[in-house]
Amino acid sequence: MALIELSKVGKDYASGPEVVRALKEVDLEIGAGEFVAVIGASGSGKSTLMNILGCLDRPTRGSYRLAGVDVSGRSADARAIVRNRLIGFVFQGFNLLPRTTALENVELPLVYRGVSARARRRRAIAALAKVGLADRLGHSPAQLSGGQQQRVAIARALVTDPPLVLADEPTGNLDTRTSYEVLALLQALVRDRGLTVVLVTHEPDIAACASRVVTVRDGRIQADERTAEPTRAARLLEELGGAPE
Amino acid sequence: MRLFTSLAIAYAALSRSWLRSLLTTLGVLIGVAAVVVVTALGTGARERVGSQIESMGTNLLFVWSQPIARSGLRVASFGLTDGDAQAIRREAPAAALVATYCDQKLSVVSAYGNERTDVVGVDSHYLGARRFEVQGGRMWTPSEELMKAKVVLIGQTAIEKLFPGRDPVGEYIRIGKHPFRVIGTLKPKGQSPFEDQDDRILMPIGSWRARVDPTMAGKVELILVSAQSASQVEPAKRQIEAILRQRHRIQEDEENDFAVHSQESFQRGQEAVYGVLSLLLLTVAAISLMVGGVGVMNIMLVSVTERTREIGVRMAIGARRLDIQLQFLAESVALTSFGGILGVGLAAVVVWGLKAWLGWSMRMSGSSVLLALTTSLAIGLVFGFLPARRAANLDPIEALRHE
Repeated sequence: MALIELSKVGKDYASGPEVVRALKEVDLEIGAGEFVAVIGASGSGKSTLMNILGCLDRPTRGSYRLAGVDVSGRSADARAIVRNRLIGFVFQGFNLLPRTTALENVELPLVYRGVSARARRRRAIAALAKVGLADRLGHSPAQLSGGQQQRVAIARALVTDPPLVLADEPTGNLDTRTSYEVLALLQALVRDRGLTVVLVTHEPDIAACASRVVTVRDGRIQADERTAEPTRAARLLEELGGAPE
Repeated sequence: MRLFTSLAIAYAALSRSWLRSLLTTLGVLIGVAAVVVVTALGTGARERVGSQIESMGTNLLFVWSQPIARSGLRVASFGLTDGDAQAIRREAPAAALVATYCDQKLSVVSAYGNERTDVVGVDSHYLGARRFEVQGGRMWTPSEELMKAKVVLIGQTAIEKLFPGRDPVGEYIRIGKHPFRVIGTLKPKGQSPFEDQDDRILMPIGSWRARVDPTMAGKVELILVSAQSASQVEPAKRQIEAILRQRHRIQEDEENDFAVHSQESFQRGQEAVYGVLSLLLLTVAAISLMVGGVGVMNIMLVSVTERTREIGVRMAIGARRLDIQLQFLAESVALTSFGGILGVGLAAVVVWGLKAWLGWSMRMSGSSVLLALTTSLAIGLVFGFLPARRAANLDPIEALRHE
């Protein structure tokens, strides 16, 4: 059974008197353990697609089944619970809470799940250790580099053990080396833990790291190709040479 | 559990910008302090007036003469006389002590000074009714009273004015043309709601009418009646009215040419004054609390706008609308109750200061503190509701896109 099943999904927006059809008849299935890159020009509808995949928005038409459950018609609060249980978010701008330590940031999803303070702490420390930031628990975002901030954000996305991670241009604000580091981390998570990652990007070399590339254009899926041999980000890092950060 | 979490998040958010939190809550702080101080002032004043009225004596009735209207004209009444007092003494069973009283503020001359003080002529029942006690020297004798002897008892404030640092007993004072011998001093009684009860000189009422104001022959200004007990005050009042109406030949349809006031009626009057004052001040304090609440709401709205992105992130990672609403409500409640606690602290300092330096009688009651704290909490809830709802109703996509 596929983790994500979109069937005939459409999304309309009212823009003044006109109706903008941001998505038209999208069918998409993503299995567990896939690493999918979504590419497309701005205005192509890929952001709308991501918002629907992330249960931040509801489709106007069609159905969206996530992990076998139809979530397309759910209320705002029900979708909040779905996001909390099933989805981890990684954003382009990191979106960590300012003046809040890395540990507290990572604990946040567990707060909304109602996990006890001790268990929260334990799991957040474990998640930060997994992204290699065990020694930065008490640092606030301002005290961390961009790459470190994005790793904190990845730890926050992973701390609830969701089956799906949605990454919206996660490397958009990072330099090449740090981008590869983040990608290597995501690839390792897919390989080792069977995580499903859907990543939006407009950089071909980033998309090349995914096992499958979905191209969105004019609100439709224009192409959906499996990559025979995905680039290993870890190898790219080696090629760059020099000591890692 | 969820509420506790919200409070923890709120506390963290507020302590991150503690200066702003403090300034925001200043209005509530001052409002709460004002409420507590005003109530403390009211409570203290009421207690002081109570004890002062108590110090005048117990179960007292005051009988004054009062001009009456006859055929539309206000005619001076014939006033009250010794005879009226004697009749009350004889015929009113509810009256325990009946005293006659005249007084005038006059210049009194001693060997050491010349001061104005209250020169009072009374009969010997007065000291008992008003609970004056002789401290040094002696009371005048019945024969001295009868003989209109030129003897006086002197109060402590009058002693300070006329005989500073000296024992006045045996000394002489002069009132008008007449010298009077000081035969005794009065125990201090302190302030009544109307006057300094120790700033006076007492003499037999006969002597007063003969030497101080000869126009008053046989008349008294005031008859002071002490009822047998608290429950006898009203019967005593009725008996006095009946006796005086009969003696003054007042017809059925005519109004009294005298007035009877009880001590309680003074107290009620005073309490009404304090009640109005307190209400006025409390209104001002309530307005200040209101303004404080609006200030909190304003800052909370700013905070919601500033933290739109944060709200978006929280929603994306699983915060429900109620979570967000509770978070911001908890923040505003934390703000205002923090202000409330500081306000009570400020009030305690102010009350302490006023008591220590100005000698005001104030008492901070536990109920007023509780009321103030509850109010500040309620203000947080009321004025935090709108910003919290605005935060909770944000669209996560829009919020995440917010710059």
